[in-house]
Amino acid sequence: MRRLFTTLSTAVAMSFGFLTLWGLLVGGGVVTSLANIILQLVLLTVALSILIGILNLFGVHFGRIRRRERQWGYSVVVLVAALLVIVLWLLNIDDVNMLLLENVQVAVESALAGLVLFALVFGAYRMLNRRITWGNLLFVLSLLVILIGALPLRETAFIADVRAWLLAVPVSAGARGILLGIALATVVTGVRVLIGQDRAYRE
Amino acid sequence: MPRLDTTTQFITVIIICLTLLSIVQGALVARRRKDAFPLRPISAYESIPYMIGTAIEAGRPVHVSLANTGLGGSTTLLTLTNAEMFYQTALRAEASILTASDPLVLPLSYVMLQRVYARRDRSERFSGRYLRWYPSTTQPLAFASALTVTLDAEQVSGSILLGNFGSELALVLDAANRRKQGSIASSIDLQGQAVAYALAGTTLIGEEMFVAGAYLGDNNAQRGAVVALDTLRWFLIGGIVLYTFVSLYEPVRTALLGGG
Repeated sequence: MRRLFTTLSTAVAMSFGFLTLWGLLVGGGVVTSLANIILQLVLLTVALSILIGILNLFGVHFGRIRRRERQWGYSVVVLVAALLVIVLWLLNIDDVNMLLLENVQVAVESALAGLVLFALVFGAYRMLNRRITWGNLLFVLSLLVILIGALPLRETAFIADVRAWLLAVPVSAGARGILLGIALATVVTGVRVLIGQDRAYRE
Repeated sequence: MPRLDTTTQFITVIIICLTLLSIVQGALVARRRKDAFPLRPISAYESIPYMIGTAIEAGRPVHVSLANTGLGGSTTLLTLTNAEMFYQTALRAEASILTASDPLVLPLSYVMLQRVYARRDRSERFSGRYLRWYPSTTQPLAFASALTVTLDAEQVSGSILLGNFGSELALVLDAANRRKQGSIASSIDLQGQAVAYALAGTTLIGEEMFVAGAYLGDNNAQRGAVVALDTLRWFLIGGIVLYTFVSLYEPVRTALLGGG
């Protein structure tokens, strides 16, 4: 029975996948309409999935509080904040909701963004402290050239030229290499999913 | 749905056919002879058994984060491959925690975790509380801060952070380093990738993130996918070299022969 169900789900996923691909590649007529309906169904599922997320959030954090797990106080804060936002939304008090978002959420995220810089600088220091390899040295040297080259000083004009060359040639080439690799891997994974080789269907 | 022009359609069909052929051929060869295509060593995959071993000895969980990748968008395929990484990790570790900011990842990882417990004959011990949803805004700093709390609250032994992290990954990795927890990180975002290289214990770069199944699992089809990836890569390299040669040929010929 389970094998039959797996085969059925694989067949459904494959046919939907091929139908959408066909609609995208060839287009026109019934196939495109069907592909559009499938895409709309996906959007509907995505919207509904928020409910799954909220249920998970409440389930996990209630459980943490009930079991008095380590740092369960944070779970209390999460639940209170989530309930507050939901209640405000139900009562249609949008201005308070926006106030909470702008004065709390945005402010906290901005503070965290400021901390990222220190984490990065410490990371560069830690990298050399951990072990000195040619790769690590090159990484830190490039970082220094990029940072110093960005300074608006006449004395660092030469470094600014090196920085511009670094960004235009090796950095750009490396970035394209990584992105091409990701693109190739995405194509391979896509075809594997289309022919039902992915684990989501196999077992 | 946008309509593609004829050239793009043609190229897409060629690429898909080529990939399909390579995958099937690779899988067939891998099935016949397992050592026909030895996988090159990748330090991040080599360090995963050590990370899991340390977690089992310490009685702590391993943390896998899929960041803000999800199903139904441009990161769908990345999410599927990262879910495979979660599956392989959960299969080996005593306990694994998954964090994600896309709620659609939850049903997928739920099923994956259920299969892991079923495969280990421990279905009765399965619990969905190991899957965590941390909603994220367009700036995923809130998600990153939630991860830093998770690392401490759950006393994780090591973290595998994959997906679409930006520079906020620095906060998570810094928190992991301060607690002396192991970390493997990778991101399709170049800023996140640079941060991962600087701060993570080991890094997966680019397409390496997509081959977890072949390195950690024992499936011929997944090995076949690696062969397909390599084949496509060589085709691409060949194409680039050919294009460079063709581009250089005319100017060099003109310079050497003086335009004659």
